Amino acid sequence: MKATEDQGAPTKGRGSGLESRAIVMFADCLKAFHAFAELSELAENLRILSLNAELAAGRAGEKGRAVRALTQYTRELVNRLHLIQRQSGQLMQQTYTQLAGLMREMHQVRLLAAAEHRVAATGNRAAAQTIGRGRSALLEPLRRDLSGMVSSTAKLEARIAQVAEVVSAADSIATNIAIEATAAGVHETEFRTVADTMRRYVLELRKMTDDAGSAARSGAVKGERLERAAQSNSAAF
Amino acid sequence: MKAINIFRRDSHRWLAFGQDPEKPGNVIDTNQMVIQAGNATMLLDPGGMEVFPSMIAALTQEIAVDEVRHLFLSHQDPDVCSALPLWRRVCRPDLKVYVPWMWTGFISHFDRDANMIAIPDEGMEVLVGADVRLRILPAHYLHSPGNYHVYDAKAKILFTGDVGAALVPEGARQSMFVENFDQHIQYMEAFHRRWMGSPRARDAWVEMVSSLEIDVMAPQHGLLFKGGDVRRFIEWFSKLEIGNGVDAFAARRG
Repeated sequence: MKATEDQGAPTKGRGSGLESRAIVMFADCLKAFHAFAELSELAENLRILSLNAELAAGRAGEKGRAVRALTQYTRELVNRLHLIQRQSGQLMQQTYTQLAGLMREMHQVRLLAAAEHRVAATGNRAAAQTIGRGRSALLEPLRRDLSGMVSSTAKLEARIAQVAEVVSAADSIATNIAIEATAAGVHETEFRTVADTMRRYVLELRKMTDDAGSAARSGAVKGERLERAAQSNSAAF
Repeated sequence: MKAINIFRRDSHRWLAFGQDPEKPGNVIDTNQMVIQAGNATMLLDPGGMEVFPSMIAALTQEIAVDEVRHLFLSHQDPDVCSALPLWRRVCRPDLKVYVPWMWTGFISHFDRDANMIAIPDEGMEVLVGADVRLRILPAHYLHSPGNYHVYDAKAKILFTGDVGAALVPEGARQSMFVENFDQHIQYMEAFHRRWMGSPRARDAWVEMVSSLEIDVMAPQHGLLFKGGDVRRFIEWFSKLEIGNGVDAFAARRG
């Protein structure tokens, strides 16, 4: 019987830098998703506003014709926002799944690396190589999950850009309603209130897209760096 | 990590691994049993993720990883199962993993791709190598509701998972075996009173193992019992009042 001696191999730490970097990247994505959580409420506010504006336009008769057309366009924008919100929800689910896989694989790679190190220190090269092969085999799903997360972040940026387009269109509508208000006579106050309220929603939406966009960009940059590290340096794991 | 031979006859061996000095302090100490027969090896409760690096380093000093063909998980606890995906990464692809039928879906949370063989309630036999026939015996409710022990009639060794487990302070461990049974009771009494919930299951277990010839009884935590201490333990356990967690209900009622 050989009582084995432990070699002081690192069971913690090896690869943990990459784990922390992955968590930081995920935190950025989370911030972006969190900002998106308000989208549904803002879209609903915009929908109610468009209904009220349509009623006001109806009351204004001929003078409200253009506003009526603008409110219909606003409802189309609301539908687009709801669609983006649904897609973002799916994306968020996918990102959680990828992160769970990534963290599991990184943890396993770290433990296998520690095991390989310890076995190598005992001089059992064949066993160390067997463990090394097991560790290498894990790198493939790890890289796949990492690429998946980077791709999800890119998709998230694309969704944010779509929201930004909607925001810009809503801003134009608010401006046009304000212009229509100047010629609406007794209905001016009512139309102006609609335009001002819409501008307020536009500002909130813009802040949301700015926050989400900056978090997603930061996540994307970190993800790409992490992916490059994973591709170029297996030993880092 | 300590490694000792607890039985050896030709190529038939039982090894016990445990008392890992590198183990983080907040991780419970575990014993890992290994049965070798010819060029086939079975790991019994191979330990959690945190002890995997030490365990495999100690194991490969004795046995080639490629010889590990069977892996037995007595129940669902993480100190038993959580390293399963790591073992599968380094062992041969046809590794057989014996798991209580009740826990297959749960243990899949540790490793959904493992080739699990569901152990039926009544237990089963597993042939390791050409001629070592192990009996997987029911030990349900001691403590897990789907729980098994392993008996090797040739080696006269009974692996008992959490039955016989003890939380022994480092300073009180001179070897991997109990040296003084009466002194040892203090390290296992509270555990058995609380973890073991069913007197009926305990009585059935006592009856079952009393008919076995046992030279060594190997629990998954603490020290192993040999010789007369095996009977002493069974006798002690048969009389112990267990399931004391229920007292908390009465305490709550005031």
